[in-house]
Amino acid sequence: MKRSPAFIAAGAITGFTGVLIAHAGARVPLASGSHPLAGGSPGSSASAGASRPAAPAAHGGTGAGSGGPAHTVVGPGVNFGYGTIAVRVTVAGHRIVSVRVASLSTLEPTSQQISYQAIPILRSEVLSAQSASINAVSGATYTSEGYDRSLQVALDQLHA
Amino acid sequence: MPAASGSRRRPSARRPPPRYEPAATPRPGLVQAALAVVGVGLGAVTALTITSETGAQFTAAGGVATFVGSLTGMVGTYLAMVMVLLVSRIPFVERVLGHDGLLRWHRWLAPWPISLLVAHAVFITAGYAQAARTGLWHQVGVLLRQYPDVLIATVGLGLMCLAGSISIRAIRRRVRREVWWSVHLVMYLALGLSFAHVLAIGPAFVGHPLTQAVWWLIWMATVGLVLGYRIGLPVVRSMRHRLQVVEVRPEGPGVVSVVCSGQHLEKLAVSGGQFFCWRFLARGMWWHSHPYSLSALPQPPYLRLTVKNSGDHSAAMATLRPGTKIMIEGPYGTFTRHVQQHRRVVLIAAGIGVTALRALLEDLPRGSQPVVILRASRQEDLVLGSEVRALVKHAHGWYHELVGSREEVSINGRTLRRLVPDLDRRDVYICGPEGFVTGVADLVRWLGIPAEAIAEAIHHEAFAL
Repeated sequence: MKRSPAFIAAGAITGFTGVLIAHAGARVPLASGSHPLAGGSPGSSASAGASRPAAPAAHGGTGAGSGGPAHTVVGPGVNFGYGTIAVRVTVAGHRIVSVRVASLSTLEPTSQQISYQAIPILRSEVLSAQSASINAVSGATYTSEGYDRSLQVALDQLHA
Repeated sequence: MPAASGSRRRPSARRPPPRYEPAATPRPGLVQAALAVVGVGLGAVTALTITSETGAQFTAAGGVATFVGSLTGMVGTYLAMVMVLLVSRIPFVERVLGHDGLLRWHRWLAPWPISLLVAHAVFITAGYAQAARTGLWHQVGVLLRQYPDVLIATVGLGLMCLAGSISIRAIRRRVRREVWWSVHLVMYLALGLSFAHVLAIGPAFVGHPLTQAVWWLIWMATVGLVLGYRIGLPVVRSMRHRLQVVEVRPEGPGVVSVVCSGQHLEKLAVSGGQFFCWRFLARGMWWHSHPYSLSALPQPPYLRLTVKNSGDHSAAMATLRPGTKIMIEGPYGTFTRHVQQHRRVVLIAAGIGVTALRALLEDLPRGSQPVVILRASRQEDLVLGSEVRALVKHAHGWYHELVGSREEVSINGRTLRRLVPDLDRRDVYICGPEGFVTGVADLVRWLGIPAEAIAEAIHHEAFAL
């Protein structure tokens, strides 16, 4: 039929720009100060799929390092798409003293390998930044996001 | 059941047309809207793939290859869906683009989804290999072993390539139509096998609920349309009309007319010149369907088709027994009065092409004043000639017979201008074997008639899918 390429092309351009505009309007940056999880419950990615919400346990303990009692909280298991990760953070006074992975389960070995490679980097970034505002690890975007979300919730509970 | 030799059952030109539901008019606007919707989907899935990619992913090891793999997989599968929809025989689309037109688009588009999906497999493997810092072949093993959905999808891709290669012209010619058809049906299976792996591990889908929702929507719409129109509608129609053979009547050497009876034929909504795909439930004939035009408008409760012996199936038609049940799909075809642009027409047919012409002639609006040219090698090959002549007289038209071998008699520019002096003010309908139709259509175009005023119907092409 005549001019059929024109109709298809017009539709394609409309669909393409429509999605771009919708995406730009809804985009939320990773690990910024105005993270949507700040002070709230984990986002939709935590409720979908296999998330294991761990009851936050606050332990009183001997001060470690910089004065003040140390409190430890385990953040919720966050489903980052290729698995679930929960982070345990210990804060003494106002310093993040330690941050370790409390649980990690992955869909398959490749994701596990990527996560193992990323976690030490994330840990050192958190310790040097002393907050959850860190950069994602290249090639481990999803793990970084999950790690960060779990950490953020844990930190919020400690500060509250 | 009426007696076998009733000339009163021969559709007469003099009787006024019976009251029945006319075929729905084609609506090009709807098809244009549908094309735009398909375009929107294509643009949307492309944008969704691009926007789900982050800079960090792109610059990571293997990021570029994985992104290209993700994009080719997305577009390739979308185009495969379009391929399936093209041959789902959706009525409002078929009415405008025509059964043959849709097949042409289907064949034209075919290389793209297959190539994109093969590229998808290669690029994804390369990307994952680079990310995991392993070799390409090792990564193939990893992908197939550790991702069960990927193994299934790879089987699907292999089936798609196999089914696709049997459709390559050089190979299809050498294969029997029933074999080719059965292999081609595997395409449905191949597509279905690929569904799971996309949602499970597709980088654009994991953690992106909107993209997942769009994907589900596209799949459900496609499956629904195929089940409804490709399978459901023909079955419902066959069951509603319950056609069966009443009589097989010889019309000429190697040509028979098959008269069928059915229920509710006034609801069949056929236009003259259209065809059905017929499946006669007789031994040896039930497992394939063939396209044949109606050779007259339905006269409830009767239908007639006229068939020339040119292969196993058409030869078997002469041996059909009364009472044989028939399943039909259709009506299909755009060789109808709905494409008529001018008030007047010229109809040109050769050989068995006269069947569609005869039905179209009966359906033409008043004032068409048709010039009808029938071409045949021998006088006895001019089947239905007397009916055509009577209809032409009734419509105040002109009837010409060109009988003789191709050397003696041919349709050339001089003949056409002599027989049809006002050719440029008429629509041209051409029906017959492929060589004839393309030859006459080229001639008419060369004489300056625009393409919109020419309608072609080629017989004995492998119409049906």
